[in-house]
Amino acid sequence: MRLTRTDPRKRSSRRGEAVILFSVAGTSFAIAVSAVEEIRSLEGLRPAPAGFAGSRLPKVKHLLERERKTYFVVDSNLHFHILPSRATRVLILRHLPVAVLVDNIERTTEITVLHALPRAFEGEERQWYRGLALFGEQVVPVVRPESFLSKGEVAVAQASASKLAAAAEGPAPGAASA
Amino acid sequence: MSSAHANPTSRAAGRSFVLFPLGKKRFALPADLVTELARPDRLQAFPHTTPLLTGVLLRRSHIVPVFDVAQVLIGPGAPARKFYLIATRRFGAAPEWTAIPVSGECELTTGEVVPPAGKLPAYVVGLLSLEREIVELLDLEKLAEAEVSA
Repeated sequence: MRLTRTDPRKRSSRRGEAVILFSVAGTSFAIAVSAVEEIRSLEGLRPAPAGFAGSRLPKVKHLLERERKTYFVVDSNLHFHILPSRATRVLILRHLPVAVLVDNIERTTEITVLHALPRAFEGEERQWYRGLALFGEQVVPVVRPESFLSKGEVAVAQASASKLAAAAEGPAPGAASA
Repeated sequence: MSSAHANPTSRAAGRSFVLFPLGKKRFALPADLVTELARPDRLQAFPHTTPLLTGVLLRRSHIVPVFDVAQVLIGPGAPARKFYLIATRRFGAAPEWTAIPVSGECELTTGEVVPPAGKLPAYVVGLLSLEREIVELLDLEKLAEAEVSA
């Protein structure tokens, strides 16, 4: 499912924000539609090669090649420190070389109010979430897309992937062997 | 609303307190920090890493974090919590509601507060002397800090 860009002129008069509701291990989350390039099945995912990023990025277990770009696929269970579950979809994020494994896509909907995360929440969740949205009586955290992999983590992942790719291609023709 | 942070013992003298039960023991909070005692509500949880927070409640359109202090005050053997005491915590100048699960009915009382004696934890900021009972007066912020630094 490829997502098209939202034309700002076509947004609702309530100035809502379109979001995708997805679930991981029984918990619902929301992410802005504008942050997602595509939702696809797990087809095409390949395991991260041995030695990828050492032990620094344990939550990246797969890579995905798409339109000549490499996406680092984040295991959302590990990201959120929750028990393993069965992923069936991958969200490919826009403007980031990052994709996210999720269990299910629930629906696309709209939020008109983003509630601040209560200040009592003082841990990693302050990075994970932009805030909380209400759908009836249900409270759903709205994720911050760039939190799945920080800029530093992306740099580590890209450097590691490049290094492994170069090693896989072998020494350049004419290069002296040690 | 005043804060219970600075020299709470002297400031608490002659004031009202809310006593809440956790198992066989009761604890006290300054009454001016307590908003209401709420009946069991739907606890909604989502991933986070803050100690003692177990989720949020939706109360009159407010999203209220649930701060389960029984884990610290009583330990893992704490009995089932039946109600939520809605109290105010302060984050800098900003007040924020928090829901404290308690195991029974609460009581509003007045009494004299004496400084904590012996090796009580830092979150016990006074002892409320009642007719047949000495009740620990709590500081929620110090309670949260204690758990984070533990």
